[in-house]
Amino acid sequence: MAGRTSLFIFQLTRTMKIKQFARMFPAMALWCVCAWPQLSAQTPSDAIMMANGQFCAALLYTHDTWDEYWEGTLKRDNGNIGVLTRQSVMPMLALGIGERINVIGALPWVRTAASAGQVAGAQGLQDWGLWVKAKVFERGPLSAYGVLGAGAPASRYLPDYAPFNLGLGAPELSLRGIAAYQHSSGLYGRAHWAYHFRGQATIERDYYYTTHGYYTDQVEVPDAVTYGVVAGAWLLNESLKVEAGYDGMISQWGHDIRRQDVGFPSNRMIFTRIGGGLQYHPPRLKGLGFVLSGNYVLAGRNVGQSTTLTGGLLYQFSLWNNHQQ
Amino acid sequence: MHTSLRSIILMLTAITGLFSACQKDDLPRNYAFDAYDFAALDETGGAWKPVLLSGPAQIALPAPLSVTDPAYLEELAELKAASENPGSEQLEAVRYWGNNPLVRWNEIARELAAKYNLAPAPNADGSYSAPSAANPGVYPLFPFAHPPYTCRMLAYWSAAQFDALISAWHYKYAYNRPAPHQVDASLKTHLPQTTLPSYPADGAVVAAVSEVILGAMFPLEKDYIAAKAAEHRQAMQWAGLHVSSDIEAGTALGQGVAAVFMARAANDGMKNAQAPKPVSDSLRQAAQDRFGWSWQNLEDPPRPVGITPLFGQVRLWCIPNVEATRPPAPPAPGSAAFNEAVAELKDIADNLTLEQRRIANFWSDGLGTYTPPGHWNRLACELMVAAKYNPLRSARTFAYLNMAVMDAGISCWDAKYYYHYPRPAQVIPGFKTILGIPNFPSYTSGHSVFSAAAAEVLGHIFPAEKARCEAWAKEAADSRVYAGIHFRFDAEAGLEQGRQVAAYSVAVARLDGAE
Repeated sequence: MAGRTSLFIFQLTRTMKIKQFARMFPAMALWCVCAWPQLSAQTPSDAIMMANGQFCAALLYTHDTWDEYWEGTLKRDNGNIGVLTRQSVMPMLALGIGERINVIGALPWVRTAASAGQVAGAQGLQDWGLWVKAKVFERGPLSAYGVLGAGAPASRYLPDYAPFNLGLGAPELSLRGIAAYQHSSGLYGRAHWAYHFRGQATIERDYYYTTHGYYTDQVEVPDAVTYGVVAGAWLLNESLKVEAGYDGMISQWGHDIRRQDVGFPSNRMIFTRIGGGLQYHPPRLKGLGFVLSGNYVLAGRNVGQSTTLTGGLLYQFSLWNNHQQ
Repeated sequence: MHTSLRSIILMLTAITGLFSACQKDDLPRNYAFDAYDFAALDETGGAWKPVLLSGPAQIALPAPLSVTDPAYLEELAELKAASENPGSEQLEAVRYWGNNPLVRWNEIARELAAKYNLAPAPNADGSYSAPSAANPGVYPLFPFAHPPYTCRMLAYWSAAQFDALISAWHYKYAYNRPAPHQVDASLKTHLPQTTLPSYPADGAVVAAVSEVILGAMFPLEKDYIAAKAAEHRQAMQWAGLHVSSDIEAGTALGQGVAAVFMARAANDGMKNAQAPKPVSDSLRQAAQDRFGWSWQNLEDPPRPVGITPLFGQVRLWCIPNVEATRPPAPPAPGSAAFNEAVAELKDIADNLTLEQRRIANFWSDGLGTYTPPGHWNRLACELMVAAKYNPLRSARTFAYLNMAVMDAGISCWDAKYYYHYPRPAQVIPGFKTILGIPNFPSYTSGHSVFSAAAAEVLGHIFPAEKARCEAWAKEAADSRVYAGIHFRFDAEAGLEQGRQVAAYSVAVARLDGAE
């Protein structure tokens, strides 16, 4: 999914990504978005919490390309794909409720296209996502968070025929844990880990072959684990956040793409990735922020070696509880 | 804080443990049906006209021992022991093979087709290697089970089953050995009982034919197929159906008949069908000279030869010569009819509905699938189970279906390489398809010819289903236009061609004594 890419943050991204990636085309990630120093913002996988009554809207654009992919463990190019590009536009909303809960929602629109070959790309809404994030622990510079996520296709996109598919086509529930450390100097670090339960995707054929034949139009999409570590700092009087990270995804089962076959939602998708990002909140533009991030897949299996760039705008304001600002 | 971190880590570890190994994988891997009472036993089936055998006794089968012979009684005692108290795995095997194992073997054949239906990947230098029957295990693995390969595989498997079961029925009623449950009423059986004479075991005939034909067609799968056949033979005993001499006789008969069909296969022209590049180029040049157009593979790197350029010269089953069903020439590029077809394709591409997309995908049957011939075999399985067909009548259905479908493939491939007509994407600038474009010329549409031929045969055999079969064929033909793979005239001429092909098969079927 490239589609999904987004950003809101890194983590969000990650969650989404998975699906996107799933398709072989990883998308990428992003960093966090909506938060700035005092306000705190947030994404499903970061350690930022928005204050009670704070609302953040973000719009992220992601551009994800690859010209090589892993067919199982074999890295190859494909003259009938050339460069595969996934673009996504993702609106994202986050809201602080009480002192310990944030709710986040996102809905990416994705478009896929190949630079070579005759096969048409696809475009449309991918999967909606909804996350509830709770701060479960805080002591001094340490904090921990739990995130419950859910998502499902938001349109009748076809999950078949990767890498042209918009998404994996399956509903998902995810549980994420985040541990964070914030130093008084502005430096911070964080680690996160999530398990993604995936349901079944529906394709438009009622027989398919993976490692044997299936007489159904349902495809069991493998569960996945995502994980990552991030280090960053708030600079310039907390108007600029700089981050770098390493993350990955591991399908918990699934099968390899066979030689010269196409990708499928039940593939065993694995990747590791590095990335970095900036988030800037101009001191004179109250509530407004800009994000820019990039990711690069280092290694993978049944995914594309994506390079992803994301840029976006955020706007944060108080819905209630104004005095807290 | 240490404590808290530790508890978080512990919690994560516990969650991971809880979650892992949750793969259900309970999606259906087979066509599920219960064993049923046959609608008829076709007691005179031994007199039906075989496809290749000179008569039902061409493969000799000695008379069985009497059911009072001590050796038979010993076999019966072994059978009683085998079926008295089978374990759950054995009962599952009995349920799986059921009492119409042709359906299971057809399913296995189609699954192998899907497994082997992958095109060779390009080499690093941009060339392509071809699968080699002499070295099947060297990549690209042999075979590449594309539609011509698969329709031929299914035709030999089906026609051999038909002849072998005609012969089996002949011997069953000639020797009239009663079923074991009729000899000993205390025998436990786990499938419906019939009064069909027991010798030779029809299931063993089916297993042996399958083992020989599928083993030859998928040489890398011989061990897998042999294991399936062994389980099938054992299941007949766990089910209490046949004593060992019934099974041995069925195996010998099946092997003997299958050898007759493999001898035909060895010289039917298939080994020359994947023509070398000079031959392939000469076909292109001939079309260019004759019509002023020719098809090109559009892949990168381009595949130097299309799929089986000389499949049109492979030996037919029911048609006197391939020219008899060759369609008229397609509209020339640039003609009014051509421009109309192009306009339709562009309109569909720009306004594809979800229903059109569904149809295109449902009938896609492309790489990695059991191909259109496999799709029609699947539909036939469902029709023959619904009609409660016995194995002989099922084999007859498969035989006429798949001989017609192979003839359809031969006739279609003749037209494809005779007319050498370009695909829409070759002649419409910037045109995109929603499915991959097959590596052979456009006219006529293989889906359309295969499907119309299959629908015509199935409609003849199952008159009540004729309208449904014809609607499926029309939908399969439309699907290729929706996908952008074919012009409308490719599909329409293909449907007509398929109907003409099947008329020859149906004419043979009408005279085989079964109707």
